[in-house]
Amino acid sequence: MSEKRKYKKRYCKYCESKVDFMDYKEVASLRFSLSERYKIMPRRLTGNCKRHQDMITVVIKRARAAALVPYTVTRKQVVTAPFENLR
Amino acid sequence: MRHYENLVIVKPTLTAEEIQANVKAIEEVITSNGGEIAATSAMGMRKLAYPIEKNERGYYHVIYYSIAPSSIAEIERRFRINEELLRFVTIKYDTNREIKAWNSLVEKANKAAATQAETPAAEEAPVAEEAAVETPATEEAPATEAAAE
Repeated sequence: MSEKRKYKKRYCKYCESKVDFMDYKEVASLRFSLSERYKIMPRRLTGNCKRHQDMITVVIKRARAAALVPYTVTRKQVVTAPFENLR
Repeated sequence: MRHYENLVIVKPTLTAEEIQANVKAIEEVITSNGGEIAATSAMGMRKLAYPIEKNERGYYHVIYYSIAPSSIAEIERRFRINEELLRFVTIKYDTNREIKAWNSLVEKANKAAATQAETPAAEEAPVAEEAAVETPATEEAPATEAAAE
């Protein structure tokens, strides 16, 4: 964290763009708050405010239930990049 | 009456007509329980983020409707009985902000449906069928492509 802060001021991306509601079906927009392994990123790394972090956690968990976003990614799966959804 | 949204995933092994029939039956379940469907949007055949019942793909369909809260239990019970359904997700839109979002989502879905109606509706059915047939073949190529990026 301290490393990150050296060059970045923390601010909430969602507050800046005035997000009031997040849709769990828009998977691409969830990516910001997910790590490479599709864990939910902590607030201390993303700089999200409490309100938006609460929103995004709910939305990500819904997307996981709907199989839009994986729960976990193992070493074997990590190559397949589930976000690039194929028709 | 409360606003709800239901996302259902239908088995990919069915033919296109069977999938459409299933989606119809699902909508029927909602209307027969006193629900009013505001909008539907077919997300089409998609790759699942993780296999469900050994299926790698699924046909996504989203239904926006309003119904009395007591009927939700019955609808979910009926969904559980349906074996062609891989998964369903019910979302409640309760607070004012959420209702506003629901309205905008419905509007968006209706608009998308209208534009799709203009372009021939026949487009959708063959795509779904095709995807169901050649599941393993198409999967590999774009995946490696994404990794290369």
